[in-house]
Amino acid sequence: MAAARLAESLVGADVRLTVLADEHHAPYNRILLSAVLEGTHPADALTLRSPAWFAAQGFELRLGARVLEIDRTASEVVLVDGERIAFDRLVLACGSIPSLPPVRGLVRRDGTLDPRVHPFRSLGDCHRLDAALGPLVEHGLSAGNAPRAVVVGGGLLGLQVARALSVRGVSTEVVEGADHLLARQLGPRAGAVLARDLRRLGTAVYTGARAVRLTDAGLHLDNGAVLSTDLVVLTAGGRPSTALARRAGLMVGRGVVVDRTLASVTDDRIHAIGDCAEHRRRTTGFVAPAWEQAEVLARVLRGEDAEYDGRRSVARLRATGLDVAVLGDAEGADGDVVEVTNPIAGSHRRLVLHGGRVVAAALVGNLSRVGLITQLYDRGTLLGPDEPGRLLLPEPADAPAPLPDDAEVCACAGVTAGEIRACSSMGECADVTRATTGCGGCADVVRRLVGTLSAAT
Amino acid sequence: MGAAVETHCPYCSLQCGMRLEGRRVPEVSAWEEFPVNRGALCRKGWSAAGLYGGRDRLTSPLVRDRETGEWSAVSWDDALDRVAAGFRAARADRGPDGVAVFGGGGLTNEKAYSLGKLARAALGTSQIDYNGRWCMSSAASAGIRAFGLDRGLPFPLADVEEADVLVLVGSNLAETMPPAARHLDRLRERGGRVVVVDPRRTPTADRADLTLQPVPGTDLALALGVLHLLVAGGAVEEDYLAARTTGWPEVRESVAAWWPERVERVTGIEAHELRAFAAMLAGSPRVMVLTARGAEQHSTGSDTVLAWINVALALGMVGKRGAGYGCLTGQGNGQGGREHGQKADQLPGYRRIDDPAARAHVAGVWGVDPDTLPGPGRSAYELLDALGTPGGPSALLVMGSNIVVSAPRATHVTERLESLDLLVVCDVVMSETAALADVVLPVTQWAEETGTMTNLEGRVVLRQRAITPPPGVRSDLDVIAGLASRLSSVPFSTDPEEVFAELGRASAGGPADYSAITYDRIRDEGGVFWGGERLFAESFAHPDGRARMYAVEHRGAAEQPCADYPVHLTTGRVLAQYQSGAQTRRVRSLPDDGPFIEVHPLLAARLGVDSGDPLRVSTRRGTMSAPARVVPTIRPDTVFVPFHWVGANRLTNDALDPASRMPEFKVCAARLARVEEVAQRPSPDPVARA
Repeated sequence: MAAARLAESLVGADVRLTVLADEHHAPYNRILLSAVLEGTHPADALTLRSPAWFAAQGFELRLGARVLEIDRTASEVVLVDGERIAFDRLVLACGSIPSLPPVRGLVRRDGTLDPRVHPFRSLGDCHRLDAALGPLVEHGLSAGNAPRAVVVGGGLLGLQVARALSVRGVSTEVVEGADHLLARQLGPRAGAVLARDLRRLGTAVYTGARAVRLTDAGLHLDNGAVLSTDLVVLTAGGRPSTALARRAGLMVGRGVVVDRTLASVTDDRIHAIGDCAEHRRRTTGFVAPAWEQAEVLARVLRGEDAEYDGRRSVARLRATGLDVAVLGDAEGADGDVVEVTNPIAGSHRRLVLHGGRVVAAALVGNLSRVGLITQLYDRGTLLGPDEPGRLLLPEPADAPAPLPDDAEVCACAGVTAGEIRACSSMGECADVTRATTGCGGCADVVRRLVGTLSAAT
Repeated sequence: MGAAVETHCPYCSLQCGMRLEGRRVPEVSAWEEFPVNRGALCRKGWSAAGLYGGRDRLTSPLVRDRETGEWSAVSWDDALDRVAAGFRAARADRGPDGVAVFGGGGLTNEKAYSLGKLARAALGTSQIDYNGRWCMSSAASAGIRAFGLDRGLPFPLADVEEADVLVLVGSNLAETMPPAARHLDRLRERGGRVVVVDPRRTPTADRADLTLQPVPGTDLALALGVLHLLVAGGAVEEDYLAARTTGWPEVRESVAAWWPERVERVTGIEAHELRAFAAMLAGSPRVMVLTARGAEQHSTGSDTVLAWINVALALGMVGKRGAGYGCLTGQGNGQGGREHGQKADQLPGYRRIDDPAARAHVAGVWGVDPDTLPGPGRSAYELLDALGTPGGPSALLVMGSNIVVSAPRATHVTERLESLDLLVVCDVVMSETAALADVVLPVTQWAEETGTMTNLEGRVVLRQRAITPPPGVRSDLDVIAGLASRLSSVPFSTDPEEVFAELGRASAGGPADYSAITYDRIRDEGGVFWGGERLFAESFAHPDGRARMYAVEHRGAAEQPCADYPVHLTTGRVLAQYQSGAQTRRVRSLPDDGPFIEVHPLLAARLGVDSGDPLRVSTRRGTMSAPARVVPTIRPDTVFVPFHWVGANRLTNDALDPASRMPEFKVCAARLARVEEVAQRPSPDPVARA
């Protein structure tokens, strides 16, 4: 997705752009893979830019082109088939790769995955899982028992996949090694509220439990439980894809280490953006910073003065029936915490304020005002002392009060409640005052008021 | 004149029918047979007779002594001679473009046509534009690009009642054109639903089934998000798109990146609301999308309209009865005013001034050599911005516009007006703009004169003279002919019906062809639609007959909130006033409570103000003070100021839409303070841009 955004931002620039993609699909919106699984989106609605678009811009898009190595001395990349492609500038937008968790039995003796096991990272993974799901659901329907799946990983992706599977009629369980769900984003109380929501939706949750072994009996956890299952979906353990950079001798920490112009600190002809980049000791894993990096890099490549200085992140769970928004580091950010938790209603709302500004927030189970809170967070708006509390509490309902005689009822004609009360019928009211003869919006109120007594004031 | 005269309201683009009786101060009564409003009027219409009988009506040409600032009455001949001499001097000094003309969307078709002819044929200047540029030009630009033709509504307004879902993007028609709101009620009685998109929950939203309150300047992103969900949900009419449009594949891809949670972050519209909205559209056989100034008056206004047109096209709605896309034009003759040549790049009949065939045709009607016609000139704001500068005009004729109140970044524009060698203003009262003029020409208004208007539906209607004008005033047509006769030999008629016939000949064969319309037909048929009652049923106006879809991207407002200016400011209208208020503020029966600053209770608490407390709002361009009005109906990060009084447009941003040249009236960054605090606060550098 970072590469597609970079290409979009380079339209019209004086560059010869070649995009090497090891997947066989044109760039697509990875955020929505769980939506494809759930069935709310067809796969082809995810295509961000088609091969025809790249061609129309004069860009070369090569699908299924896997890069073997970067030859920095020759300024070339080498493909697995031996072809060499020269570059002036090289951009690594390799994303992240799933790493298999250390669970015995995932890989069979012949080196292939157990057929029940599905990593979930790419459109290919999504199609394979979907293909496996079809017969299972069908068989389950005829046998009267739902197919079963275990999702390994209780992060954003894991929960989205778990909900998608549930919506598809699969009896789903989630296994998370940390002691609560969304451990990277949420604190224990919020995680507990979320787990409760998920259970209410029919999904069992095992936290503080690691999968250790897959056998014919099912997935064994380190707490002794054995989860009998038809499918094991792996959503945990993605890490930045840095193998190429590492082999090429570029400095790699968790990701490819880049400076403010998103250039490798080892070789300024080579840039990295998106999940595979490490900027200021951080890798992100989110699309918004990846896109911002792509836009900044496009300006750098056009010869403009542009720098990336990090960005506020918003993690928003896209899962039917589960409401979670996490702005920034809601657990680790430094500041004053204003928090409302109601486990009975299943909501946890937390704002972290620093110097009167929202620097982080977590909303679980009740997203009321999420749009506004996100705006205040993104824009760093200075709030008043009572505002954080009011933002978290329910909005007061407008209480209808009896209309005093001088209240304007018909704005079109400028008629007050008192003038309407003085009329004996709708018809008289229209003739005498012209109320109801403009936009007609006051007709209901006029009907209630004609011929009544004044409100006690 | 004993019998009642059938005519139309002096204000908005509905051009409601009404009857007038009485010779000096007319009495308004309902004209039930007129189809657009069926006798309904708002208080502005009912009180329209209050325009007459006021003490401040101008009845003699006035010239101002620049030394003393004093006004003196002069004869018409003297006044017109002075103006002609000034124009000649400016031409001698700076060439033909040394003289500029600024018109208005309230002028009749006849006046708009004659004003354009005056500029091109008599003055030879390319420097003519009008305040309609600040009205619906973004929708006009988008309509021409998408459909090949711009007619605000390509169907009668009453078709609204037949829609299953009506989406109003940035329209508060219940307050700005109240009789139109009756259609919403009938639509809902039929079981249809109304969606209102507006950062304020307005009286129009009170009639909505769904109200979306986006961050100002993000309507485009909202449309992309809707289209994303329509694609995902399989609600797109692929057969229609294949048969009737071009550009769909790229548009389809361009919305793949706009999933609801991303849209939520940009627009503030919660993902579940967006899903509910899209589901409503997806399940409805007839969807109608109407945009108005809220969506259009942005530096991204024309792209925003294109994005909503894409939604209507993707659903296969455009050309279907009771469905489709339309623009709710604002000004009384907003539609006709943009068709007959007072726009910088146009000739009569909505022809392009850079089209050689169009030039030849119009020059033939005018009896001039096509090569003498100037090319395209500057757009409205750019024209004003150039006044008095070394490369710009040094003389300006203003007709039907109160620029000082209505231009964006008004303080700067006022300075430009003051830098002119000659400012001539035709007006009925000493408006804020007339007060700056060197020569003020008192003109007739509304019921004192006859002329046609083209309402928001493209229906040409006839305003008929009902009363006798006060002695001493002349019609704008007389002024134009008087100046033309002093400056050229090109003939100009002062008879509206003759001018209309000439306009018909000039427009013949153009996109907006009036040649078959006559005053008699208008009287007989309750108005006449140019181009036919309903457009696009079979084909669009591009040569290939297809609508064009454009992949457009969200860019956001030109000026975003920052630490110094932390809230969004938006502007708009209130029911009892109209435009710059030059007319309505003088009608005694209309309440004039002055401007106010609408804030949400959360923001009011942050500022420590209650309703009625004095508040100051500042932007990088200016400042104004007004009482706070605390209402829960506005977004907490946004403030609203009505623009009928001097002040609001000192605040607004002059960033322009690249296609329509529309200024960004509807959003900029602002700072608020209680008035007593203002003196203590250090003021940030007004020039610094964040």
